[in-house]
Amino acid sequence: MVVVFFFIMIFGMLLIRSFPAMARDPLMIFGSTWDVEAGIFGAAPAIIGTLVSSSIAILFAVPISLAIAVFFTEYAPSQIRTGLSVVIDMLATIPSVIFGIWGLWIVAPLMKTFVQEPISGSLGFIPIFSGPAYGLSLLLASVILTFMIVPIITSISISLLSSTPVELREAMISLGATRWEVVRHVALPFSKLGIFAAVMLALGRALGETMAVTMVIGNSFMWPFSSISIFSPASTLTSKIASELYEAIDPFHVSSLIELGFLLLMITLSVNSLARLIVSRYSQRRYGT
Amino acid sequence: MTTKLETKALSAWFGRKQVLKGISIAFEEREVTALVGPSGCGKSTFIRCLNRMHELNPGGRVDGKVLLDGADIYGMDPMEVRRKIGMVFQKPNPFPNMSISDNVVAGIKLSGEKKKADLEGIAERALKSVGLYEEVKDDLRRSGASLSGGQQQRLCIARALAMEPEVILMDEPTSALDPASTSKIEELIRKLKSEITVIIITHNVSQAARISDKTAFLYLGELIEYGNTKEFFESPKSPITERYITGRFG
Ligand SMILES: Nc1ncnc2c1ncn2[C@@H]1O[C@H](COP(=O)(O)OP(=O)(O)OP(=O)(O)O)[C@@H](O)[C@H]1O
Ligand SMILES: [Mg+2]
Repeated sequence: MVVVFFFIMIFGMLLIRSFPAMARDPLMIFGSTWDVEAGIFGAAPAIIGTLVSSSIAILFAVPISLAIAVFFTEYAPSQIRTGLSVVIDMLATIPSVIFGIWGLWIVAPLMKTFVQEPISGSLGFIPIFSGPAYGLSLLLASVILTFMIVPIITSISISLLSSTPVELREAMISLGATRWEVVRHVALPFSKLGIFAAVMLALGRALGETMAVTMVIGNSFMWPFSSISIFSPASTLTSKIASELYEAIDPFHVSSLIELGFLLLMITLSVNSLARLIVSRYSQRRYGT
Repeated sequence: MTTKLETKALSAWFGRKQVLKGISIAFEEREVTALVGPSGCGKSTFIRCLNRMHELNPGGRVDGKVLLDGADIYGMDPMEVRRKIGMVFQKPNPFPNMSISDNVVAGIKLSGEKKKADLEGIAERALKSVGLYEEVKDDLRRSGASLSGGQQQRLCIARALAMEPEVILMDEPTSALDPASTSKIEELIRKLKSEITVIIITHNVSQAARISDKTAFLYLGELIEYGNTKEFFESPKSPITERYITGRFG
Protein backbone atom coordinates (compact mmCIF):
# COMPACT_ATOMS: atom_id res chain seq x y z
CA MET A 1 0.00 0.00 0.00
CA VAL A 2 2.69 2.42 1.07
CA VAL A 3 4.75 1.22 -1.86
CA VAL A 4 1.97 1.92 -4.32
CA PHE A 5 1.46 5.39 -2.90
CA PHE A 6 5.16 6.09 -3.05
CA PHE A 7 5.31 4.88 -6.59
CA ILE A 8 2.40 7.03 -7.71
CA MET A 9 4.10 9.99 -6.07
CA ILE A 10 7.33 9.45 -8.02
CA PHE A 11 5.41 8.84 -11.19
CA GLY A 12 3.36 12.00 -10.72
CA MET A 13 6.40 14.09 -9.86
CA LEU A 14 8.22 12.96 -13.01
CA LEU A 15 5.18 13.58 -15.11
CA ILE A 16 4.57 17.09 -13.75
CA ARG A 17 8.20 18.16 -13.94
CA SER A 18 8.63 16.89 -17.48
CA PHE A 19 5.34 18.43 -18.59
CA PRO A 20 6.79 21.71 -19.95
CA ALA A 21 9.06 19.84 -22.37
CA MET A 22 6.36 17.38 -23.38
CA ALA A 23 3.80 20.13 -23.90
CA ARG A 24 6.12 22.19 -26.03
CA ASP A 25 6.84 19.39 -28.47
CA PRO A 26 5.90 15.84 -27.50
CA LEU A 27 8.05 14.26 -30.20
CA MET A 28 11.14 16.39 -29.78
CA ILE A 29 12.69 14.03 -27.23
CA PHE A 30 12.92 11.32 -29.88
CA GLY A 31 15.01 13.47 -32.19
CA SER A 32 18.74 12.97 -32.63
CA THR A 33 20.08 16.41 -31.77
CA TRP A 34 20.67 17.68 -28.25
CA ASP A 35 21.71 21.31 -28.39
CA VAL A 36 21.26 23.26 -25.17
CA GLU A 37 22.07 26.65 -26.71
CA ALA A 38 19.57 26.18 -29.53
CA GLY A 39 17.01 24.76 -27.12
CA ILE A 40 16.75 21.46 -29.01
CA PHE A 41 16.47 18.41 -26.82
CA GLY A 42 16.36 15.20 -28.84
CA ALA A 43 17.61 12.17 -26.96
CA ALA A 44 17.27 9.26 -29.38
CA PRO A 45 20.97 8.34 -29.01
CA ALA A 46 20.56 8.04 -25.24
CA ILE A 47 17.37 6.01 -25.53
CA ILE A 48 18.94 3.63 -28.03
CA GLY A 49 22.16 3.59 -26.01
CA THR A 50 20.31 2.44 -22.92
CA LEU A 51 18.55 -0.35 -24.77
CA VAL A 52 21.60 -1.50 -26.70
CA SER A 53 24.20 -1.36 -23.92
CA SER A 54 21.90 -3.36 -21.64
CA SER A 55 21.04 -5.88 -24.34
CA ILE A 56 24.71 -6.49 -25.13
CA ALA A 57 25.38 -6.93 -21.42
CA ILE A 58 22.57 -9.50 -21.18
CA LEU A 59 23.91 -11.27 -24.26
CA PHE A 60 27.31 -11.59 -22.58
CA ALA A 61 26.05 -12.26 -19.09
CA VAL A 62 23.53 -15.05 -19.73
CA PRO A 63 25.93 -17.66 -21.14
CA ILE A 64 28.65 -16.74 -18.64
CA SER A 65 26.27 -16.94 -15.68
CA LEU A 66 24.73 -20.21 -16.81
CA ALA A 67 28.14 -21.74 -17.38
CA ILE A 68 29.25 -20.74 -13.88
CA ALA A 69 26.00 -21.91 -12.32
CA VAL A 70 26.08 -25.29 -14.07
CA PHE A 71 29.74 -25.79 -13.22
CA PHE A 72 29.01 -24.81 -9.63
CA THR A 73 26.03 -27.09 -9.05
CA GLU A 74 26.96 -30.08 -11.16
CA TYR A 75 30.70 -30.37 -11.51
CA ALA A 76 32.66 -28.38 -8.94
CA PRO A 77 34.17 -30.17 -5.95
CA SER A 78 32.93 -28.77 -2.65
CA GLN A 79 36.12 -26.79 -1.81
CA ILE A 80 35.90 -24.88 -5.08
CA ARG A 81 32.20 -24.37 -4.49
CA THR A 82 32.77 -22.57 -1.20
CA GLY A 83 35.41 -20.32 -2.74
CA LEU A 84 33.28 -19.55 -5.76
CA SER A 85 30.21 -18.63 -3.76
CA VAL A 86 32.26 -16.19 -1.68
CA VAL A 87 33.52 -14.55 -4.87
CA ILE A 88 30.01 -14.32 -6.34
CA ASP A 89 28.60 -12.78 -3.17
CA MET A 90 31.47 -10.31 -2.96
CA LEU A 91 31.05 -9.26 -6.56
CA ALA A 92 27.39 -8.50 -5.84
CA THR A 93 28.29 -6.12 -3.01
CA ILE A 94 30.83 -3.97 -4.88
CA PRO A 95 29.48 -0.38 -5.15
CA SER A 96 28.98 0.69 -8.72
CA VAL A 97 31.36 3.64 -8.46
CA ILE A 98 34.13 1.10 -7.79
CA PHE A 99 33.13 -0.76 -10.93
CA GLY A 100 33.39 2.58 -12.71
CA ILE A 101 36.91 3.31 -11.45
CA TRP A 102 38.02 -0.22 -12.25
CA GLY A 103 36.52 0.03 -15.72
CA LEU A 104 38.17 3.37 -16.35
CA TRP A 105 41.67 2.51 -15.15
CA ILE A 106 42.01 -1.19 -15.76
CA VAL A 107 39.46 -2.57 -18.17
CA ALA A 108 39.50 0.39 -20.60
CA PRO A 109 43.23 0.21 -21.47
CA LEU A 110 43.17 -3.59 -21.56
CA MET A 111 40.19 -3.62 -23.88
CA LYS A 112 41.71 -0.98 -26.08
CA THR A 113 44.84 -3.02 -26.72
CA PHE A 114 43.46 -6.54 -26.63
CA VAL A 115 39.94 -6.19 -28.01
CA GLN A 116 39.24 -2.96 -29.87
CA GLU A 117 42.48 -2.61 -31.80
CA PRO A 118 42.75 -6.21 -33.02
CA ILE A 119 39.07 -6.39 -33.94
CA SER A 120 38.83 -3.05 -35.72
CA GLY A 121 42.15 -3.89 -37.36
CA SER A 122 40.83 -7.11 -38.86
CA LEU A 123 37.06 -6.69 -38.98
CA GLY A 124 37.01 -2.90 -39.29
CA PHE A 125 35.26 -3.07 -42.64
CA ILE A 126 32.10 -4.07 -40.76
CA PRO A 127 30.56 -0.77 -39.60
CA ILE A 128 29.83 -1.85 -36.03
CA PHE A 129 33.53 -2.73 -35.52
CA SER A 130 34.97 0.22 -37.41
CA GLY A 131 36.69 3.41 -36.36
CA PRO A 132 39.39 4.49 -33.94
CA ALA A 133 39.49 3.03 -30.45
CA TYR A 134 38.83 5.80 -27.97
CA GLY A 135 38.96 3.72 -24.83
CA LEU A 136 35.65 4.89 -23.48
CA SER A 137 32.92 3.19 -25.45
CA LEU A 138 29.55 1.54 -25.66
CA LEU A 139 31.24 -1.85 -25.54
CA LEU A 140 33.19 -0.93 -22.41
CA ALA A 141 29.95 0.09 -20.71
CA SER A 142 28.37 -3.20 -21.73
CA VAL A 143 31.33 -5.15 -20.37
CA ILE A 144 31.21 -3.34 -17.03
CA LEU A 145 27.45 -3.93 -16.89
CA THR A 146 28.11 -7.59 -17.61
CA PHE A 147 30.34 -7.83 -14.54
CA MET A 148 27.64 -6.16 -12.49
CA ILE A 149 24.80 -8.46 -13.51
CA VAL A 150 26.60 -11.80 -13.76
CA PRO A 151 26.44 -12.26 -9.95
CA ILE A 152 22.67 -11.65 -9.99
CA ILE A 153 21.90 -14.21 -12.68
CA THR A 154 24.48 -16.67 -11.39
CA SER A 155 23.38 -16.77 -7.79
CA ILE A 156 19.69 -17.12 -8.64
CA SER A 157 20.47 -19.81 -11.22
CA ILE A 158 22.55 -21.72 -8.70
CA SER A 159 19.73 -21.83 -6.21
CA LEU A 160 17.27 -22.90 -8.90
CA LEU A 161 19.48 -25.60 -10.37
CA SER A 162 20.32 -27.01 -6.98
CA SER A 163 16.66 -27.20 -6.03
CA THR A 164 15.93 -29.58 -8.92
CA PRO A 165 14.19 -32.57 -7.32
CA VAL A 166 16.56 -35.49 -6.70
CA GLU A 167 13.87 -37.91 -7.93
CA LEU A 168 13.93 -36.32 -11.37
CA ARG A 169 17.69 -36.32 -11.54
CA GLU A 170 17.80 -39.96 -10.51
CA ALA A 171 15.13 -40.88 -13.05
CA MET A 172 17.32 -39.45 -15.80
CA ILE A 173 20.50 -41.05 -14.43
CA SER A 174 18.80 -44.44 -14.25
CA LEU A 175 18.13 -44.21 -17.98
CA GLY A 176 21.86 -44.02 -18.66
CA ALA A 177 22.20 -40.23 -18.85
CA THR A 178 25.54 -38.51 -18.47
CA ARG A 179 25.94 -35.57 -16.10
CA TRP A 180 25.51 -33.13 -18.92
CA GLU A 181 22.36 -34.89 -20.13
CA VAL A 182 20.91 -34.58 -16.63
CA VAL A 183 21.61 -30.84 -16.73
CA ARG A 184 20.26 -30.48 -20.23
CA HIS A 185 17.08 -32.53 -19.89
CA VAL A 186 16.19 -32.16 -16.22
CA ALA A 187 17.89 -29.34 -14.32
CA LEU A 188 17.73 -26.62 -16.99
CA PRO A 189 14.11 -27.27 -18.04
CA PHE A 190 13.15 -27.35 -14.37
CA SER A 191 14.83 -23.97 -13.77
CA LYS A 192 14.24 -22.15 -17.03
CA LEU A 193 11.32 -20.01 -15.95
CA GLY A 194 13.16 -18.84 -12.85
CA ILE A 195 16.28 -18.18 -14.87
CA PHE A 196 14.23 -16.09 -17.27
CA ALA A 197 12.93 -14.06 -14.32
CA ALA A 198 16.48 -13.61 -13.05
CA VAL A 199 17.59 -12.37 -16.46
CA MET A 200 14.78 -9.82 -16.48
CA LEU A 201 15.76 -8.66 -13.01
CA ALA A 202 19.31 -8.23 -14.26
CA LEU A 203 18.08 -6.37 -17.34
CA GLY A 204 16.20 -3.96 -15.09
CA ARG A 205 19.37 -3.42 -13.12
CA ALA A 206 21.42 -2.83 -16.27
CA LEU A 207 18.90 -0.40 -17.78
CA GLY A 208 18.89 1.70 -14.64
CA GLU A 209 22.59 1.51 -13.76
CA THR A 210 23.96 5.03 -13.61
CA MET A 211 27.28 5.59 -11.91
CA ALA A 212 29.50 3.00 -13.57
CA VAL A 213 27.97 3.58 -17.00
CA THR A 214 28.33 7.35 -16.80
CA MET A 215 32.00 6.92 -15.92
CA VAL A 216 32.91 4.60 -18.79
CA ILE A 217 30.59 5.24 -21.71
CA GLY A 218 32.11 8.56 -22.78
CA ASN A 219 28.72 10.23 -22.74
CA SER A 220 28.73 11.32 -26.37
CA PHE A 221 25.91 11.64 -28.85
CA MET A 222 28.04 10.52 -31.81
CA TRP A 223 26.69 6.98 -31.42
CA PRO A 224 24.66 5.65 -33.21
CA PHE A 225 24.02 8.34 -35.84
CA SER A 226 27.54 9.57 -36.77
CA SER A 227 29.25 6.30 -35.92
CA ILE A 228 27.54 3.00 -35.41
CA SER A 229 30.67 1.29 -34.08
CA ILE A 230 30.42 -0.37 -30.67
CA PHE A 231 33.91 1.03 -29.99
CA SER A 232 32.61 4.55 -30.21
CA PRO A 233 31.70 6.60 -27.12
CA ALA A 234 27.96 6.66 -26.58
CA SER A 235 25.41 7.67 -23.99
CA THR A 236 22.48 6.30 -22.05
CA LEU A 237 19.46 7.90 -20.42
CA THR A 238 21.14 7.56 -17.06
CA SER A 239 24.49 8.98 -18.17
CA LYS A 240 22.74 11.92 -19.81
CA ILE A 241 20.72 12.77 -16.73
CA ALA A 242 23.59 12.25 -14.30
CA SER A 243 26.04 14.36 -16.22
CA GLU A 244 23.78 17.32 -17.01
CA LEU A 245 21.09 17.72 -14.42
CA TYR A 246 23.18 19.61 -11.86
CA GLU A 247 24.32 22.24 -14.38
CA ALA A 248 21.08 22.71 -16.29
CA ILE A 249 19.59 26.19 -16.01
CA ASP A 250 17.20 26.50 -18.93
CA PRO A 251 13.83 25.22 -17.65
CA PHE A 252 13.27 23.26 -20.86
CA HIS A 253 16.65 21.61 -20.41
CA VAL A 254 15.75 20.53 -16.89
CA SER A 255 12.33 19.45 -17.97
CA SER A 256 13.75 17.42 -20.88
CA LEU A 257 16.19 15.65 -18.57
CA ILE A 258 13.34 14.75 -16.27
CA GLU A 259 11.41 13.51 -19.24
CA LEU A 260 14.35 11.17 -19.89
CA GLY A 261 13.93 9.90 -16.34
CA PHE A 262 10.27 9.34 -17.04
CA LEU A 263 11.13 7.41 -20.21
CA LEU A 264 13.61 5.26 -18.30
CA LEU A 265 10.96 4.46 -15.73
CA MET A 266 8.54 3.52 -18.50
CA ILE A 267 11.12 1.23 -20.08
CA THR A 268 12.02 -0.60 -16.86
CA LEU A 269 8.35 -0.80 -15.96
CA SER A 270 7.40 -2.40 -19.25
CA VAL A 271 10.30 -4.87 -19.07
CA ASN A 272 9.13 -5.81 -15.63
CA SER A 273 5.46 -6.22 -16.57
CA LEU A 274 6.29 -8.15 -19.70
CA ALA A 275 8.46 -10.50 -17.66
CA ARG A 276 5.68 -11.00 -15.13
CA LEU A 277 3.20 -11.70 -17.87
CA ILE A 278 5.44 -14.31 -19.47
CA VAL A 279 6.28 -15.97 -16.17
CA SER A 280 2.66 -16.24 -15.09
CA ARG A 281 1.62 -17.44 -18.54
CA TYR A 282 4.18 -20.22 -18.52
CA SER A 283 3.90 -21.22 -14.92
CA GLN A 284 0.23 -21.96 -15.54
CA ARG A 285 1.15 -24.06 -18.52
CA ARG A 286 4.14 -25.56 -16.83
CA TYR A 287 2.65 -29.02 -16.91
CA GLY A 288 1.40 -28.70 -20.46
CA THR A 289 3.58 -29.14 -23.46
CA MET B 1 18.09 -72.05 -14.89
CA THR B 2 20.87 -69.59 -15.59
CA THR B 3 22.11 -66.88 -13.33
CA LYS B 4 21.51 -63.40 -14.74
CA LEU B 5 22.85 -61.18 -12.02
CA GLU B 6 25.01 -62.13 -9.09
CA THR B 7 26.69 -60.32 -6.23
CA LYS B 8 29.81 -61.56 -4.49
CA ALA B 9 30.66 -60.27 -1.02
CA LEU B 10 28.97 -56.97 -1.80
CA SER B 11 29.49 -54.32 0.86
CA ALA B 12 28.44 -50.68 0.80
CA TRP B 13 29.09 -47.62 2.92
CA PHE B 14 27.71 -44.16 3.48
CA GLY B 15 30.84 -42.35 4.60
CA ARG B 16 32.17 -44.48 7.42
CA LYS B 17 28.89 -46.19 8.11
CA GLN B 18 28.74 -49.68 6.64
CA VAL B 19 25.24 -50.42 5.39
CA LEU B 20 25.74 -53.70 3.50
CA LYS B 21 27.94 -56.43 4.89
CA GLY B 22 29.22 -58.89 2.33
CA ILE B 23 26.06 -59.94 0.49
CA SER B 24 26.38 -62.83 -1.97
CA ILE B 25 23.27 -63.70 -3.89
CA ALA B 26 22.42 -64.96 -7.40
CA PHE B 27 19.33 -63.86 -9.31
CA GLU B 28 17.95 -66.28 -11.89
CA GLU B 29 17.12 -65.18 -15.39
CA ARG B 30 13.43 -64.49 -16.04
CA GLU B 31 12.36 -64.78 -12.45
CA VAL B 32 10.89 -62.31 -10.02
CA THR B 33 12.89 -61.98 -6.85
CA ALA B 34 11.42 -60.08 -3.93
CA LEU B 35 13.64 -58.34 -1.38
CA VAL B 36 12.09 -57.92 2.03
CA GLY B 37 13.33 -56.70 5.36
CA PRO B 38 12.66 -54.12 8.04
CA SER B 39 13.04 -50.44 7.31
CA GLY B 40 16.65 -49.30 7.19
CA CYS B 41 18.10 -52.78 6.63
CA GLY B 42 19.73 -51.71 3.38
CA LYS B 43 17.32 -52.88 0.65
CA SER B 44 17.38 -49.66 -1.33
CA THR B 45 21.13 -49.34 -0.93
CA PHE B 46 21.50 -52.89 -2.18
CA ILE B 47 19.58 -52.46 -5.40
CA ARG B 48 21.24 -49.11 -6.01
CA CYS B 49 24.55 -50.97 -6.00
CA LEU B 50 23.20 -53.16 -8.80
CA ASN B 51 22.92 -50.29 -11.28
CA ARG B 52 25.78 -48.22 -9.91
CA MET B 53 23.56 -45.52 -8.42
CA HIS B 54 24.87 -45.91 -4.87
CA GLU B 55 28.29 -44.51 -5.77
CA LEU B 56 26.62 -41.21 -6.74
CA ASN B 57 25.78 -40.44 -3.12
CA PRO B 58 28.33 -38.22 -1.42
CA GLY B 59 30.41 -40.69 0.57
CA GLY B 60 28.81 -43.68 -1.17
CA ARG B 61 31.30 -46.53 -1.55
CA VAL B 62 30.97 -50.10 -2.80
CA ASP B 63 33.17 -53.15 -2.40
CA GLY B 64 32.80 -56.66 -3.82
CA LYS B 65 31.55 -57.81 -7.20
CA VAL B 66 28.32 -57.51 -9.16
CA LEU B 67 28.28 -59.82 -12.16
CA LEU B 68 25.89 -59.37 -15.07
CA ASP B 69 26.09 -62.48 -17.25
CA GLY B 70 29.39 -63.16 -15.52
CA ALA B 71 30.97 -59.74 -16.22
CA ASP B 72 31.64 -57.33 -13.37
CA ILE B 73 29.53 -54.19 -13.84
CA TYR B 74 32.05 -52.23 -11.80
CA GLY B 75 34.46 -52.71 -14.68
CA MET B 76 31.99 -51.33 -17.21
CA ASP B 77 30.84 -47.86 -18.19
CA PRO B 78 28.18 -46.93 -15.61
CA MET B 79 25.91 -45.38 -18.28
CA GLU B 80 26.02 -48.64 -20.20
CA VAL B 81 25.18 -50.61 -17.04
CA ARG B 82 22.14 -48.43 -16.37
CA ARG B 83 20.86 -48.93 -19.88
CA LYS B 84 20.94 -52.69 -19.34
CA ILE B 85 19.63 -52.63 -15.79
CA GLY B 86 16.58 -50.39 -15.52
CA MET B 87 15.08 -48.93 -12.38
CA VAL B 88 11.65 -47.94 -11.10
CA PHE B 89 11.46 -45.78 -7.99
CA GLN B 90 9.19 -45.68 -4.97
CA LYS B 91 7.66 -42.35 -5.86
CA PRO B 92 6.47 -42.05 -9.48
CA ASN B 93 8.84 -39.58 -11.11
CA PRO B 94 7.79 -38.72 -14.68
CA PHE B 95 9.56 -35.69 -16.17
CA PRO B 96 7.06 -32.83 -15.71
CA ASN B 97 8.40 -30.85 -18.65
CA MET B 98 7.84 -33.72 -21.09
CA SER B 99 4.75 -35.15 -22.70
CA ILE B 100 3.62 -38.70 -22.07
CA SER B 101 5.30 -40.04 -25.17
CA ASP B 102 8.47 -37.99 -24.65
CA ASN B 103 8.67 -39.43 -21.16
CA VAL B 104 8.56 -42.96 -22.51
CA VAL B 105 11.31 -42.37 -25.06
CA ALA B 106 13.47 -40.08 -22.90
CA GLY B 107 16.10 -42.79 -22.40
CA ILE B 108 16.01 -44.01 -25.99
CA LYS B 109 16.62 -40.49 -27.23
CA LEU B 110 19.73 -40.31 -25.05
CA SER B 111 21.14 -43.40 -26.69
CA GLY B 112 20.84 -41.73 -30.05
CA GLU B 113 17.56 -42.97 -31.51
CA LYS B 114 16.14 -39.94 -33.27
CA LYS B 115 13.71 -40.93 -36.04
CA LYS B 116 10.28 -39.68 -35.16
CA ALA B 117 8.35 -42.63 -36.53
CA ASP B 118 10.55 -45.12 -34.70
CA LEU B 119 10.19 -43.21 -31.45
CA GLU B 120 6.41 -43.16 -31.81
CA GLY B 121 6.39 -46.89 -32.39
CA ILE B 122 8.56 -47.51 -29.35
CA ALA B 123 6.39 -45.27 -27.19
CA GLU B 124 3.23 -47.00 -28.31
CA ARG B 125 4.61 -50.48 -27.69
CA ALA B 126 5.94 -49.59 -24.25
CA LEU B 127 2.67 -47.94 -23.24
CA LYS B 128 0.74 -50.99 -24.43
CA SER B 129 2.97 -53.33 -22.47
CA VAL B 130 2.08 -51.53 -19.23
CA GLY B 131 -1.59 -51.31 -20.18
CA LEU B 132 -1.57 -47.54 -20.31
CA TYR B 133 -1.99 -47.02 -24.03
CA GLU B 134 -5.77 -47.32 -24.14
CA GLU B 135 -6.11 -44.87 -21.25
CA VAL B 136 -3.93 -42.13 -22.73
CA LYS B 137 -3.90 -42.63 -26.50
CA ASP B 138 -6.23 -39.70 -27.17
CA ASP B 139 -3.70 -37.21 -25.95
CA LEU B 140 -0.13 -38.39 -25.92
CA ARG B 141 1.14 -34.80 -25.98
CA ARG B 142 -0.22 -34.20 -22.49
CA SER B 143 2.31 -33.78 -19.71
CA GLY B 144 3.33 -36.95 -17.91
CA ALA B 145 2.66 -35.18 -14.63
CA SER B 146 -1.03 -34.76 -15.47
CA LEU B 147 -1.73 -38.48 -14.96
CA SER B 148 -2.94 -40.13 -11.77
CA GLY B 149 -0.35 -41.60 -9.41
CA GLY B 150 -0.92 -45.15 -10.61
CA GLN B 151 -0.78 -44.11 -14.24
CA GLN B 152 2.38 -42.15 -13.56
CA GLN B 153 4.03 -45.21 -12.07
CA ARG B 154 3.05 -47.31 -15.07
CA LEU B 155 4.44 -44.55 -17.28
CA CYS B 156 7.72 -44.81 -15.37
CA ILE B 157 7.75 -48.56 -15.87
CA ALA B 158 7.09 -48.03 -19.59
CA ARG B 159 9.99 -45.56 -19.65
CA ALA B 160 12.29 -48.18 -18.16
CA LEU B 161 10.97 -50.95 -20.44
CA ALA B 162 11.42 -48.85 -23.56
CA MET B 163 15.17 -49.24 -23.06
CA GLU B 164 14.71 -53.01 -23.40
CA PRO B 165 16.69 -53.68 -20.25
CA GLU B 166 17.81 -57.17 -19.30
CA VAL B 167 17.06 -56.63 -15.64
CA ILE B 168 14.62 -54.28 -13.97
CA LEU B 169 15.01 -53.09 -10.38
CA MET B 170 11.96 -51.82 -8.52
CA ASP B 171 12.12 -50.05 -5.19
CA GLU B 172 8.70 -50.41 -3.51
CA PRO B 173 6.94 -49.45 -6.74
CA THR B 174 3.45 -49.71 -5.29
CA SER B 175 3.89 -48.30 -1.80
CA ALA B 176 2.56 -44.89 -2.85
CA LEU B 177 -0.41 -46.29 -4.78
CA ASP B 178 -4.03 -47.29 -4.18
CA PRO B 179 -5.04 -50.99 -4.19
CA ALA B 180 -6.44 -50.94 -7.74
CA SER B 181 -3.27 -49.46 -9.21
CA THR B 182 -1.23 -51.84 -7.08
CA SER B 183 -2.92 -54.91 -8.48
CA LYS B 184 -2.46 -53.64 -12.02
CA ILE B 185 1.25 -53.29 -11.43
CA GLU B 186 1.49 -56.70 -9.74
CA GLU B 187 -0.16 -58.26 -12.74
CA LEU B 188 2.28 -56.43 -14.99
CA ILE B 189 5.25 -57.74 -13.03
CA ARG B 190 4.04 -61.32 -13.38
CA LYS B 191 3.77 -60.76 -17.12
CA LEU B 192 7.19 -59.12 -17.37
CA LYS B 193 9.13 -62.10 -16.20
CA SER B 194 8.56 -63.96 -19.45
CA GLU B 195 11.08 -61.53 -20.87
CA ILE B 196 13.21 -60.01 -18.18
CA THR B 197 14.64 -60.53 -14.74
CA VAL B 198 12.83 -58.57 -12.05
CA ILE B 199 14.16 -57.64 -8.62
CA ILE B 200 11.59 -55.92 -6.47
CA ILE B 201 11.74 -54.46 -2.98
CA THR B 202 8.53 -54.62 -1.04
CA HIS B 203 7.40 -53.85 2.47
CA ASN B 204 4.38 -55.92 1.95
CA VAL B 205 5.01 -59.62 2.65
CA SER B 206 1.82 -60.73 1.04
CA GLN B 207 2.80 -58.87 -2.11
CA ALA B 208 6.10 -60.74 -2.11
CA ALA B 209 4.20 -64.01 -1.73
CA ARG B 210 1.83 -63.12 -4.59
CA ILE B 211 4.30 -62.06 -7.23
CA SER B 212 7.74 -63.52 -6.63
CA ASP B 213 9.48 -66.78 -7.46
CA LYS B 214 12.19 -66.25 -4.90
CA THR B 215 12.38 -64.14 -1.81
CA ALA B 216 15.42 -62.73 -0.03
CA PHE B 217 15.37 -61.39 3.50
CA LEU B 218 17.83 -58.69 4.50
CA TYR B 219 18.43 -57.72 8.08
CA LEU B 220 20.92 -55.10 9.31
CA GLY B 221 22.81 -55.18 6.06
CA GLU B 222 23.13 -58.96 5.90
CA LEU B 223 21.37 -61.56 3.80
CA ILE B 224 19.62 -63.76 6.33
CA GLU B 225 17.63 -66.06 4.10
CA TYR B 226 17.05 -66.63 0.39
CA GLY B 227 14.98 -69.28 -1.31
CA ASN B 228 11.85 -70.21 -3.21
CA THR B 229 9.04 -67.95 -2.14
CA LYS B 230 6.75 -70.83 -1.22
CA GLU B 231 9.29 -72.42 1.12
CA PHE B 232 10.41 -69.04 2.37
CA PHE B 233 6.95 -68.32 3.70
CA GLU B 234 5.87 -71.85 4.65
CA SER B 235 9.01 -73.02 6.37
CA PRO B 236 11.51 -70.27 7.06
CA LYS B 237 14.82 -71.58 8.25
CA SER B 238 15.88 -68.66 10.38
CA PRO B 239 13.94 -67.60 13.50
CA ILE B 240 14.49 -63.93 12.53
CA THR B 241 12.81 -64.53 9.18
CA GLU B 242 9.92 -66.21 10.88
CA ARG B 243 9.49 -63.30 13.24
CA TYR B 244 9.55 -60.90 10.30
CA ILE B 245 6.99 -62.71 8.16
CA THR B 246 4.61 -63.25 11.02
CA GLY B 247 4.67 -59.52 11.60
CA ARG B 248 6.23 -59.53 15.05
CA PHE B 249 8.75 -56.97 13.91
CA GLY B 250 9.08 -53.23 13.58
N1 LIG C 1 22.17 -40.60 2.11
C1 LIG C 1 22.46 -41.33 3.21
N2 LIG C 1 23.46 -40.96 4.03
C2 LIG C 1 23.76 -41.67 5.12
N3 LIG C 1 23.12 -42.79 5.49
C3 LIG C 1 22.11 -43.23 4.73
C4 LIG C 1 21.72 -42.52 3.54
N4 LIG C 1 20.68 -43.17 2.97
C5 LIG C 1 20.44 -44.24 3.76
N5 LIG C 1 21.30 -44.29 4.82
C6 LIG C 1 21.33 -45.31 5.86
O1 LIG C 1 21.61 -46.55 5.26
C7 LIG C 1 20.84 -47.56 5.86
C8 LIG C 1 20.11 -48.35 4.80
O2 LIG C 1 19.21 -47.50 4.13
P1 LIG C 1 18.27 -48.03 2.98
O3 LIG C 1 17.60 -46.85 2.41
O4 LIG C 1 19.07 -48.88 2.07
O5 LIG C 1 17.23 -48.93 3.77
P2 LIG C 1 15.91 -49.62 3.24
O6 LIG C 1 16.02 -51.03 3.63
O7 LIG C 1 15.68 -49.32 1.84
O8 LIG C 1 14.82 -48.92 4.14
P3 LIG C 1 13.30 -48.59 3.78
O9 LIG C 1 12.58 -49.88 3.84
O10 LIG C 1 12.87 -47.67 4.84
O11 LIG C 1 13.29 -47.98 2.42
C9 LIG C 1 19.92 -46.90 6.86
O12 LIG C 1 20.46 -47.11 8.14
C10 LIG C 1 19.96 -45.45 6.51
O13 LIG C 1 19.89 -44.67 7.67
MG1 LIG D 1 14.20 -48.13 0.74
